[in-house]
Amino acid sequence: MNNLEIPAETTPEFTSTSETSLLVVIVDSNPSQKMLRDNPHVLTHCVDSVIAFANSHLMQKAQNKLAVMACHSKTSEFIYPGPNKPLDVRQIDGQYEVFTAVEKTIKHNLAKLLANEKSTLVTESLLAGAIAMALCYIARIQRTKPPGCRLNSRILVVTGSGDSASQYMNYMNVFFTAQKQGIVIDVCALDQHLSLLQQGCDITGGLYLKVPQLQGLLQYLLWVFLPEPPIRQKLVLPPPVKVDYRAACFCHRELIDIGYVCSVCLSIFCKFSPICTTCHTVFKIPGPLAVKSKKKKIKL
Amino acid sequence: MVDEEEQKEYRWETGYEKTWEAIKEDDDGFLEASVADIIQRAKRKRQAQKQGNSKLGMMRHLYVILDCSDSMSSQDLKPTRLLCTVKIMENFIEEFFDQNPISQMGIIIMHNKRAEKISDLAGNARKHIKAINNLKQTSLIGEPSLQNSLEMALRALKLLPSHASREILVVMGSLTTCDPGDINTTILNLKSEGVRCSVIGLAAEVHVCRRLANETGGLYNVILDDCHFKDLLYQQVDPPPAALTLESNLIKMGFPHQMSVEGTEEPLTMCMCHVDSTDEGSKLNTGGYYCPQCYSKYCELPVECRACGLTLVSAPHLARSYHHLFPAANYDEITYENQTVICFACQKNFSETDKQVYRCPNCTKIFCINCDIFVHDILHTCPGCATNLSTFQIAHNTTQ
Repeated sequence: MNNLEIPAETTPEFTSTSETSLLVVIVDSNPSQKMLRDNPHVLTHCVDSVIAFANSHLMQKAQNKLAVMACHSKTSEFIYPGPNKPLDVRQIDGQYEVFTAVEKTIKHNLAKLLANEKSTLVTESLLAGAIAMALCYIARIQRTKPPGCRLNSRILVVTGSGDSASQYMNYMNVFFTAQKQGIVIDVCALDQHLSLLQQGCDITGGLYLKVPQLQGLLQYLLWVFLPEPPIRQKLVLPPPVKVDYRAACFCHRELIDIGYVCSVCLSIFCKFSPICTTCHTVFKIPGPLAVKSKKKKIKL
Repeated sequence: MVDEEEQKEYRWETGYEKTWEAIKEDDDGFLEASVADIIQRAKRKRQAQKQGNSKLGMMRHLYVILDCSDSMSSQDLKPTRLLCTVKIMENFIEEFFDQNPISQMGIIIMHNKRAEKISDLAGNARKHIKAINNLKQTSLIGEPSLQNSLEMALRALKLLPSHASREILVVMGSLTTCDPGDINTTILNLKSEGVRCSVIGLAAEVHVCRRLANETGGLYNVILDDCHFKDLLYQQVDPPPAALTLESNLIKMGFPHQMSVEGTEEPLTMCMCHVDSTDEGSKLNTGGYYCPQCYSKYCELPVECRACGLTLVSAPHLARSYHHLFPAANYDEITYENQTVICFACQKNFSETDKQVYRCPNCTKIFCINCDIFVHDILHTCPGCATNLSTFQIAHNTTQ
C-alpha cells in the first residue's frame, strides 16, 4: 500500500491534472472492403478489439478523453460520443460505468449506421475526410478546454481498405494540418499496405503498423499504439520503414527521379510536353536546352 | 490574371480604409473590439475573393526591404517598432516557407541612406530568421533610402528566369526617403521588369509608396496596430496572381530518395550543404538525399544542387502548395433556422447564440463559424465534401 501512495504524492500536480490526452479512433467499417466481404465476422472482432483498446486508454488516466468515428464511402460519423445524449447505464458486474457506456454507445451507433448503409459495392473508404472531421473536432476541444490545461491529441486509423491516389490532395491537406497543430496520426493497417497513410505517419511523427496476424489485433493495439508519443521513444517498437517520397508523374502515374514541373500549377510530368494537361498553359520554350541556360543565370 | 489597371482612388475613398468610420469605441471607451472586427471582416472578404483556377505565381522570389532608420526606434509599437517588426517577421518567414516551399526570399535593410543586404535570395528559413534576429543589435541611424534598396533588389531579381514571380515587400517606418536620383525612373524600371512591390507603412500614408505599389501592381497598407500589422504581413504569404508578363515554363526538378542497397549500410559521407560552412561544420553520417543526376548528398530539401544546378524537392513539398491552386469552396452564410442540430465537422451543438451558420455549396453540409475559419485558413479541405464519394473530388475536377 505504501508503494502506491508515494508516487501519488511525489508527482507534481500539473502533470497529473492539467494534462489530458485526447484519442480519436477512426474505424473503417465500410462493409464492402475486401477483408469484410471475405469474412464479415472480422468486423465484430475488430470492433471488440478497438473497444477494449479505447477503454484501456480511458483507464490510464481519469482525464483522458476519447472519440470514435466510423468511416464509410458515403459518410463518416462520430459513434462515440454520439449526437444523442449519453446513454444512462448502471453498473454491471462491477464494471466501471464509463466502459459500459463506451461499449454500448459504439455498438448501438455502429449498428444503426450499418443498417442505413445501402449495399453499394464501393470498396474505397474516404479516410481523408474522416481525418479532416477528426481534426475539426480536436480543434474544437482545443478551443473550449479550460485555461491552463494541456491537451495532447492523436488520431488512430484502423482500416482494412486500400488507399487510392484519388484522395491524394485531401490526404496531404490533412497531414500538413495535423503536423501544424502538433497532432500525431497513427495508422494500423489490417489488410493492405497503405503507402499514402505511411507518408502521413512519417510527416506527423506517428507510427505505421501493418498487422501480420488479425487474430492478435488487440495485442498489437495495446503494445504499439497505447503508449503516448513521448513515452514511445523509450520503448522498443517496430523500426520505422524508409518512406519513398518520390513523386508520381501526372501523365503515367509512375514514380520518377527527374521530372518536369509546370511553373503555374506544379503538375509533374515525366517528359517535356508543350502544353500542361492540368492547367492548359502553353509553354514558351521548347526543349530542355533553354531551361538549362536559364538555370545558369541563377548561380551568377 | 490580375487586372493591372492603375487604381486612381485615394486611400480615403476606398471602402475598407474608411478607418475613422469603422472604428467605434466600445462601452468602456476601448477601440480593440472594433479593430478585431475590421480584421475579421477583411479576412472573410479576402477569403471570398480567392478563387481556384486562377493562375498564380507559385515560384516566388521575394525581397523583403526593412526600414532600419532612426524612425524605427519610435515606441508606438511595443517595445519599439523594430523589435515588434522583428518578432512578427520571424513568424512570417516560417509561415512563408511553410506555405511556399519552393520559393526563395532575401532580406535588405535600409539605414543611414544606404541599402545593405543581410541575407541573399535563398530557400532556407533558418538562415533568414538568424539574420533578422541579429537586427536587434543594429544601431538605428539616419534616414532610409528607398531608391537604393529598390535598385539593389532589382539588380538581383533581374537575373531570375522568366517563369519566376518577382516580388518586393517594403516595411517602411519612416515618412521620408533620401534618394540619390529620381525614384520615378526606378519605379518604371521595376514595372518593366514585372516586379510586384508591396509596401506596409508603419506610420502614415506616403505618396511615393502609394505610387510604387500602384504602378507595380502591389498592395499598399498602413497599419492600425500590431495585430493589424501581422494580418497585413500574412496577406503576403499567399502567392499573388501571376502577372501578365509572367511566362510559363516546365522546370526540370529532381526527386531524390535515400540510397539503400538491401543488406548493406549506407557509406559515411558528408553533405554538400554544410561542407564549406564555417559556423556549422559538416558531419559524417549515413542518411541523406542524393541528387538523382550527380549523386551529391544533401541533408535537407528543398535545395538547388550545388554541383549540377538541379532543383531538388520531395513530392510533399509540391503538394503543400496545391491548396493555393485548389482551395476549398467558400461556404455560404445562412441564418440558423434549426436546419440541423450539430455542426457536421466538430459536432458542436447549435444553440440560440448561433445566429449564422455556414453551408458548403457542394455537399450542403452545415458548419459553425469556427469550423468555417479552420477549414479555410488551415485545413483547405471541406470535411463534408471529403467524406462523400460523390463530392470528394469536386475541387479537383473543376480544374481538369
